[in-house]
Amino acid sequence: MTESKTIKVDYLARVEGEGALYIRYDDGGVHDVKLKIFEPPRFFEAFMRGRDYLEAPDITARICGICPVAYQMSALHAMEDALGLAPTPELRALRRLIYCGEWIESHTLHIYMLHAPDFLGYPSAVAMAKDHPQIVRDGLQIKKAGNAIVNLLGGREIHPINVRVGGFYRVPAATELHPLREQLLQARDMAVETVRWAASLPFPKFERAADNQYEFVALSNPREYPMNEGRIASTRGLDIAVRDYDHHFREEQVDYTNALHSVINARGAYFVGPIARYNLNCDRLSPLVRQVADDIGFPPFCANPFQSIVVRSLEVLYAFDEALRIIDSYREPQQPYLKSEPRAATGCAATEAPRGLLYHRYSIDERGKITDAKIVAPTSQNQKTIETDLRLMLPQYLHLTEEKLQHQCEQAIRNYDPCISCSTHFLKLHLDRSDRSAE
Amino acid sequence: MTDRAIISLGNRFRGDDSVGPYILHRIRQHLGDMVPCIENGGDMTQLLEQWRDRRVCLVDAVLAEGRAVGDVIRLDGLAAPIAHSVCGTSSHGLNLAEAIELGRAVGALPRSLDIYAICGENFATSAALSPAVAAAAAVVEREIVNFLMAQTGGPPCTNSP
Repeated sequence: MTESKTIKVDYLARVEGEGALYIRYDDGGVHDVKLKIFEPPRFFEAFMRGRDYLEAPDITARICGICPVAYQMSALHAMEDALGLAPTPELRALRRLIYCGEWIESHTLHIYMLHAPDFLGYPSAVAMAKDHPQIVRDGLQIKKAGNAIVNLLGGREIHPINVRVGGFYRVPAATELHPLREQLLQARDMAVETVRWAASLPFPKFERAADNQYEFVALSNPREYPMNEGRIASTRGLDIAVRDYDHHFREEQVDYTNALHSVINARGAYFVGPIARYNLNCDRLSPLVRQVADDIGFPPFCANPFQSIVVRSLEVLYAFDEALRIIDSYREPQQPYLKSEPRAATGCAATEAPRGLLYHRYSIDERGKITDAKIVAPTSQNQKTIETDLRLMLPQYLHLTEEKLQHQCEQAIRNYDPCISCSTHFLKLHLDRSDRSAE
Repeated sequence: MTDRAIISLGNRFRGDDSVGPYILHRIRQHLGDMVPCIENGGDMTQLLEQWRDRRVCLVDAVLAEGRAVGDVIRLDGLAAPIAHSVCGTSSHGLNLAEAIELGRAVGALPRSLDIYAICGENFATSAALSPAVAAAAAVVEREIVNFLMAQTGGPPCTNSP
């Protein structure tokens, strides 16, 4: 007889959204892993229909309180693609600057508040703060600098209201940007220390076998580390224009989850996010970031998802460096935005949200009303890879107590900083163990 | 008065959850710039900066079992233990109780924290305030205004002699 054992954890904390994880395993291995997202579908793509093309950035920004800028950027670039608008270099620089702010806000929240407690053995950031208050203070200071960027350019830190198709409603004068410099310089120094601290954390060893490597997918841009534009590239040779996305990727309905699973037509699961960006674009990081990566001995290619916290910290450092570069070379745009006239057209865009590739496609009619919308969020692209990671990782941890095993699963999921709200809220963990030792 | 602040939590577009921003808006009309009125949409890490070293009145909506809609729960946030269910946010952020604990750990607490939590019932997107919540809002608004007026003698006179 096989004794079946079930472990239930009601809520996996420190991820955004509501979902459940079901794992069936026994001493012989892991037999079933299902990341179940039971948050109801939010129907954003459906209720975009009939709305004006100018509304898309602000409506889609409401998909996420953590990365609204990403939604705004993908939406407005897609609309500009449809309308044949090309933002001026000055407007482009400001968009990159506000994206830097969001990367800093989002990554710092994840590094310090969500992921670090896993490595230091605490159940939460609050518990960690009692023993390591300075670590948390540093995190809050760094995040504050990111907030300042988004606030200045976006009008407020969360759900900014100043970006629009064609540019911004209002652009700052150079004199408004310069007061940020000192705050960003101080925070950049703290970001360097964050990288060194993150690299010193104890990482579980996990790498996939040679015949089952990840396919990392990210934007790639020969001129710069990708944020707003580039071709879609992968570590297995994919190199396509964003407009060809729908020919190479598809979304699949899966019966146990409300979020669609995204796959590459030819090969299946893939991996988006900071590690993918880093692996495909490492040489385009700023000299300071590459120097710091060298100093800590961090390789130009990372295949251990537990080290995503280091890559996020490198990206935070890069975002400060890039923000300072943009501020120092800032020229105020002559016009805050390019005027546009609607026409019947379809446009698409992909930008790099903190969690990875974010694809938007819209069709509009001659009056500028949206007739069709498609949005593919990073978390839905990573779901299959998260499930596979758990399936491959768990066998080496089956000797652990159930409590520790659960913790290991949660930590592995948080490697991806999943935003379940984006992909369709609390993750409920359900481990089902068939105990063969009772036979 | 500069060390005082009124902070609202909640989403102004979600029914009774908007009672905090609603009260804030009404108090701002009474007191003008005399007291900073800060609307926080749910970022508790930002809250630590907003309330640090200030004497704060915080208004929010809650869903409390066993309490009637429109009940006002008054708490000294620094003395009374706050239930984790009060002002819960998404699991990606902190709730109010965690924000207070975190503030205590990193030395970012307000000097005083008077919490006014109003029990709501309808948190649907675009819904109006429930009648009982609107009535409670008027009570809380009056209470906070009277309290602050008593502290300061009211807003400065703007009439020129």
